[in-house]
Amino acid sequence: MAALLSIRGLRTWFHTRAGIARAVDDVNLHLQPGETLALAGESGSGKSVTAYSILRLIQPPGRIEAGEIMFNGTNLLTLDDRGIRNVRGNRVAMIFQEPLSAFNPVQKVGAQIVEAIRLHRRVSRRAAYARAVELLAQVGIPSPGARAHEFPHRLSGGMRQRAMIALALACEPDILIADEPTTALDVTTQAQILDLLKSLQARNGMGLLLITHDLGVVAETADRVAVMYAGRVVEEGPVDTLFSRPSHPYTAGLLAAVAIDDVPPGERLPEISGMAPSLLAMPQGCAFAARCPKASAAAGCFTESPVFSSLTLQRHVACFAANPAASPVTVFPRSAMRDDNVRVAA
Amino acid sequence: MYLALLKELLRNRAAAAGLALLLATLLAATLGRFWFPGDPWEMSGAPMLWPGDDAANPLGTDLMGRDMATGLVSGAGVSLMIGLVSTLIAAGAGITIGALGGFYRGWTDAFLMRVTELFQTVPQFVLAVVLVAIFKPSVATATFAIGIVSWPPTARLVRSEFLALRERGFVEAARALGMGDFRLIVTQILPNALPPVIVIAALNIATAIQTEAALSFLGLGDPNVMSWGTIIGNGREQVVDAWYICGLPGIAIVLVVLAFNLLGEGLNDALNPHLREKET
Repeated sequence: MAALLSIRGLRTWFHTRAGIARAVDDVNLHLQPGETLALAGESGSGKSVTAYSILRLIQPPGRIEAGEIMFNGTNLLTLDDRGIRNVRGNRVAMIFQEPLSAFNPVQKVGAQIVEAIRLHRRVSRRAAYARAVELLAQVGIPSPGARAHEFPHRLSGGMRQRAMIALALACEPDILIADEPTTALDVTTQAQILDLLKSLQARNGMGLLLITHDLGVVAETADRVAVMYAGRVVEEGPVDTLFSRPSHPYTAGLLAAVAIDDVPPGERLPEISGMAPSLLAMPQGCAFAARCPKASAAAGCFTESPVFSSLTLQRHVACFAANPAASPVTVFPRSAMRDDNVRVAA
Repeated sequence: MYLALLKELLRNRAAAAGLALLLATLLAATLGRFWFPGDPWEMSGAPMLWPGDDAANPLGTDLMGRDMATGLVSGAGVSLMIGLVSTLIAAGAGITIGALGGFYRGWTDAFLMRVTELFQTVPQFVLAVVLVAIFKPSVATATFAIGIVSWPPTARLVRSEFLALRERGFVEAARALGMGDFRLIVTQILPNALPPVIVIAALNIATAIQTEAALSFLGLGDPNVMSWGTIIGNGREQVVDAWYICGLPGIAIVLVVLAFNLLGEGLNDALNPHLREKET
């Protein structure tokens, strides 16, 4: 099946005074219609920057340096200003972490949804308003007609997030990017919002790109997951097999840190020692090598950057220890990465 | 929303007083014209009649025997009109320049701010005098000149508001919905930047009225229009033996300027969210 969205070789760098921060470096991702792909990673791993790059919302000093983002046969990175504006909110919509700050504080909720609809559809104000109320009802907001008349700060956190989902769905997008949609919510509301996203997706078949640092959310919601570390995707695959048999030592470490129920009382909790490297001063070789229990000089962990390559048909990993094919000197020249067939064949 | 603002204003005693004074001035400028319909330049009685001396000229007459009440009523209209229109010009220019600079930053901002500074380095009043003197003194040129000299503070204010607001989440979210720059500026950022601009505009009207009076006092007013500054200018020779000629329009200026200042302060209290914490 042709991917709805496929990102290849994406590089988004920030040109700061202190140097170039490679926030996203050679990221490859793809998303099928109706699929949920989780982009997981710690703060600063580049997951949000990847998402913002898709809609070209990167502001200076950040810049998309290279890559290709194919959506429905067009490269989003080469569209002109008008073209990308036509995609934003219309074909690819986004919801944000903090729903209060994502609403204009001086405009009523209903009016903001009306504006979003009328940006992309030639409909009357009245029709758009009816649609806005319908959308609010669809995302489970009680008495939607009254809520449409409220200013955003009058709604509760969960209600606001629902309203923001309604806003994002205004033009029935093909892809919804959710940037940590539940981080600012309490746990019960979190579950409701995730259920809502899943049911909306089941109804309209949109692709969902879920950005999160919460592995619980990933396990509950996603079909596939891509784990990011220091600006790169280090491992990617279906959630069930990746969680049960992680290949990359970083993924394994993360999962071990979450599975604290298995730790006997009194025992020290598992952790990943050390710190993520600064994006301004990336080490030579694998970015995770300094913290990696399996790193060895013989494999080239400290000198060569492991290439993101196939482990099985569905699983990809960038690690010498997990996959000998990751070595750039053996089977995989870097240029071959641009071709999907090579990856699958390996 | 506007009704709520009005309520908030009326609860504030100073602002309510300002509004009342303003209303009185407005009534003087409109209904007063029906009461004293004469030509303010026309002689209507003996010269230098003190207020109360003659029922036909309740506020007395000036050196040339012109009715003071008619002059004051005419001046009220001129002051309000010039104050409002010149402030609209200043607000329009200031908002446009500040919004563009604050939104686009970079060299656009650098250029616009240098222009703003250029205007700020020249004393406002001197520049207004020069502008009026270059063109023929009239209500239009005075309005224009006062507008031109008073936009820089608005521009700087709007710019700083835009610099802060453009980083806010809802601007990013609106961009992610597909809004273009113009729409972002006008529908998203500007409404949020407006409250302090409204406050500064109210205070600006007061300054504009003073500037107009000063221009007329110097004889740079419209020669066909009787404004408060003109009356004061004409009466300055008699200030010792007929102080009311300068005094009455002087009091009028003080009251109107006070009214706008009170209103501005009241608006500031009502619109500034930090001073209104207990409200929400």
